[in-house]
Amino acid sequence: MSKFTSEAVDKYAKDLLFELSKEENTMVLNEFEIIEKNMEQIMKLPNLKETEPMTHPIELEMTLLRLDEVKDELSVEEVLSNTEHKTMENIIVPKVVE
Amino acid sequence: MKSIILDAQKKEKNALLEECKKNILENQAQCNSCVTIIEDATTKKETSSLLSNIPYVLKDNFSTKGIETTASSNTLKNYIPPYDATVYDRLNQTGAILLAKTVMDEFGMGGTGTTGHTGTVKNPWNLECIAGGSSAGSAAAVASGAVPFAIGSDTGDSVRKPAAYCGIVGYKPTYGLISRYGLIPFASSLDHVGILTKYVQDAAIVANEIKGIDSHDMTSWDSSQIELPSQLEKDISGKKLFYIKEIVDIENYQNPTEELRIILNQFQEVLKSLQELGAVVESKSISKDLLETLPSVYTCISSAEATSNLSNLTGIIYGPRGEGKTIEEIIVNHRTNGFSPLIKRRLIIGSYVLQKENQEKYFENAQRVRNQIVTIMHSFFKEYDACILPCAASIAPKIANANDEMKQDFAVLENHMVIGNFGGFPSITIPSSIVSNMPIGINLTAEQKEDEKLLNIACKLEEKLNFKGGL
Amino acid sequence: MNLIPTIGIEMHCEMKSNSKVFSTSANTYSKHSNNHVSALDIALPGTLPVVNLECVKKAILMSSILNCEIPEMLYFDRKNYYYPDLPKGYQITQSHAPIGINGKIEIPYKESTLKIAIHDIHLEEDTAKIEHLMEESLINYNRAGVPLLELVTEPVFHSKEEVLAFLEYIRKIYQYTDISDADVKRGQVRCDVNISVALENEPLGTKVEIKGVNSFSNILLVIDAEIARQKELIENGKKEEIKQETRRFDESLGTTVRMRSKIDAIDYKYFVEPNIPKIKLDKTMIEQIKNSIIELPLSRMNRYKELGLSKEDIMILTKERNISDYFDECLKLGRDAKKISNWITGIILSYIKKEDVSILDISLTPKELNLLLTSLEEGTISNKQAKEIASIVLNEHKSVSECLEKENNQISDDKLLDEIVQNIIAENPTQVEAYHNGRTNLFNFFVGAVMKETKGQANPVLTKEIIAKYLNKEEE
Repeated sequence: MSKFTSEAVDKYAKDLLFELSKEENTMVLNEFEIIEKNMEQIMKLPNLKETEPMTHPIELEMTLLRLDEVKDELSVEEVLSNTEHKTMENIIVPKVVE
Repeated sequence: MKSIILDAQKKEKNALLEECKKNILENQAQCNSCVTIIEDATTKKETSSLLSNIPYVLKDNFSTKGIETTASSNTLKNYIPPYDATVYDRLNQTGAILLAKTVMDEFGMGGTGTTGHTGTVKNPWNLECIAGGSSAGSAAAVASGAVPFAIGSDTGDSVRKPAAYCGIVGYKPTYGLISRYGLIPFASSLDHVGILTKYVQDAAIVANEIKGIDSHDMTSWDSSQIELPSQLEKDISGKKLFYIKEIVDIENYQNPTEELRIILNQFQEVLKSLQELGAVVESKSISKDLLETLPSVYTCISSAEATSNLSNLTGIIYGPRGEGKTIEEIIVNHRTNGFSPLIKRRLIIGSYVLQKENQEKYFENAQRVRNQIVTIMHSFFKEYDACILPCAASIAPKIANANDEMKQDFAVLENHMVIGNFGGFPSITIPSSIVSNMPIGINLTAEQKEDEKLLNIACKLEEKLNFKGGL
Repeated sequence: MNLIPTIGIEMHCEMKSNSKVFSTSANTYSKHSNNHVSALDIALPGTLPVVNLECVKKAILMSSILNCEIPEMLYFDRKNYYYPDLPKGYQITQSHAPIGINGKIEIPYKESTLKIAIHDIHLEEDTAKIEHLMEESLINYNRAGVPLLELVTEPVFHSKEEVLAFLEYIRKIYQYTDISDADVKRGQVRCDVNISVALENEPLGTKVEIKGVNSFSNILLVIDAEIARQKELIENGKKEEIKQETRRFDESLGTTVRMRSKIDAIDYKYFVEPNIPKIKLDKTMIEQIKNSIIELPLSRMNRYKELGLSKEDIMILTKERNISDYFDECLKLGRDAKKISNWITGIILSYIKKEDVSILDISLTPKELNLLLTSLEEGTISNKQAKEIASIVLNEHKSVSECLEKENNQISDDKLLDEIVQNIIAENPTQVEAYHNGRTNLFNFFVGAVMKETKGQANPVLTKEIIAKYLNKEEE
């Protein structure tokens, strides 16, 4: 009995702010099963707990942090250039309810 | 050493541009390689760079100011960036001429070239076959001879696999050698800028012009001491290479196809060529259990990072505004209509493995396996100069059969190149031979920052193999 | 029932810097919208964060002030959630390795102090601003990416007064160290409050989070309201109705209202930010920062108390670091603490308030004040003269020595001046009559005449007094 349900999948989609078709939902369920099986394989690998999770592929010897200077600001026009939903200075959206 | 870019130095630049324009339009008609073609591209003032007035194409996930950039996704239809990717900026400075933004798998997620919003890219070798992905259009353009070079991106093998399917060179440098600023991200810790060319020398020349530390990208590093084309001709006798026997031994395959048999035999032939060049080739072993986890480790990490990276696509500031009365509705509408099914599936998986209660078991364990395989490779590279492996278990699949559905039995042979992304190792595909009238390639990988050595070995091998690309 | 409240605070403060924490656009206030925005601030595809060194230094400074443990590696995490004011769909923050953990700080409270345990302090970025209209909302991304320091306390407070004292003291530290202006009115300080209520010596009750409290007066209201709500439920046997949830303060209702419960609590899916490498923090730099910590307000307050200053004066002198530094400068030069204090709290602060300038910019510097007070001590000048000189120095930007010299030559002899004034009045009958007929501005004519006669040396105040005496006498 699978622990993954199509309701759960729909909820994940909802939280990601999109909708799935029934077909897509089924495909995801299948893929979950595969992942689950593979994860069990992974958990059988020796020394797993002792290994640090790798977050970056390369350790850099030196990283310089940035100086506190202002540059490369976009113009207001540029900021608003990719939408029609705007005023002179702002982006407009439907009223956001708290 | 062969080089289209060096040959082009003597050509009259306006004529070259016209020729490439004509070719790219043809390639577009044949293979559907381009999202946007810049038909009014003109020659510029000559610079001292080898790339001056050399036409090229850019995968459509590189930000180009004033030119539509879509990552082959409907969520970015008509998006016109107000800034340039560093790679594009640097190419502009060399005087290279951008001819087109090429088709890709949406956001880089895919290995077939079939998920882009303007349709499937066909392989110029056989129009019924895929060009591979996700840098499909870039590979098709170079393979057809339309342009001397193309820029792509490689997250799991997305420059190196299409290169193999299309019989060209696909080079993924060390992570951080080339700036990712302006590259629309798929999985930030796995994404690399990659170069596609006919010959190794050209890949070295292009990479050399665009590499270098970038103040916009904290993961980039100072490579001013590295001259990529400088060691190409060096004699490689004495160089030590290894292959992973679990991947190349036919006994490890339960029901090998005839094609697979041929591919693995041809691989052995390549090893002989290497030995004739004076190199030593040895077999190394990595536990099959570990190798078989690689595809799911990749899916886990890449989907998780992708879920986060694609959260900015809401249609509020850019991209087509969704319909609806509330802000939630317009965002859901934008994303539901804008993302292809594959993207949605990957995002859900990514979200799932990052959930608080799942993260340790899925995401962090995947990161641990990543560490393990990378550590093993580092240990091998202490003794060996490079790793050599076949690129794929087959020639380019037919379009009708290709899809990106997750399969239970992923052949490691299909997916080992992801090791190059896990550890940021420099890795390159060069075409090696023809099987069933389609090209196949071999893949070389070296230790981090050893790009010069990698290109050297690749170049000498390329010369020896003398691949006759029949296009 | 002896129900005790237990409170923990999360205090978010906008930092001062030229550019934002991960992007290079300006960190500044503007009347306009979307004019200080970079490609990263609006999450244009392909943009990458680059960490601002200045913000890291300031974070380390505060971490040190709070006596926190500083991690070996600097790195960040993504906090993933959707809201229109968060363009990337995630906030870059620190969850795995905050810039400071397990700290403590002593704060002034009533006549004594409190030791507050700090859970952590971390560096993160602010969200954009949404303005609500009737049917629509407008989004202004100027604030997106502004550096924030989030300070999380342990649940150690047991009253709203303690909380307020803490917030005010931290704010003062931020202002003293120039880490932040901490201007509550401008929305630079925002708090989340965690409250639970339980019987004394019983384990802690269910914790309720109240988000987004944006003024110190609201903090007091929120704490009262929530404690009251919880107490009522407990006293009526409805303890289970207190859920672990997130609430917000509804000003019109005067009570807290549920935002979301634990079941639909957001899972932020924190993971390490891959675009920012893990950076080894330079121990030398950390040492330098630690050594540069200025004396904190509490220490100054204690010092001033020992000098015998009054509570009110101490509050005024330590309100701003510059004022306290000024006072300490004067002390160093040797004058009496109480005297210096009176001069600062009196004439100097009035001037500063009136002219809206900083104490750093006035002409009456500590050295100048010292000279003045020394002359006063030595009896060379009177208190009145000293005040006059101070006024001239402040307003006319002359030096004290210049004024003292003038003062030495000044004619303050009543009898002499009296004589001179009488003469001038006698010599100018027309003007006297005109003055009496309403042209009161002619008063200055007489002053001028005296000045001319004495070559400017006449004591102005005295002169005016005497002139007035005679003119009015004349009138009679």
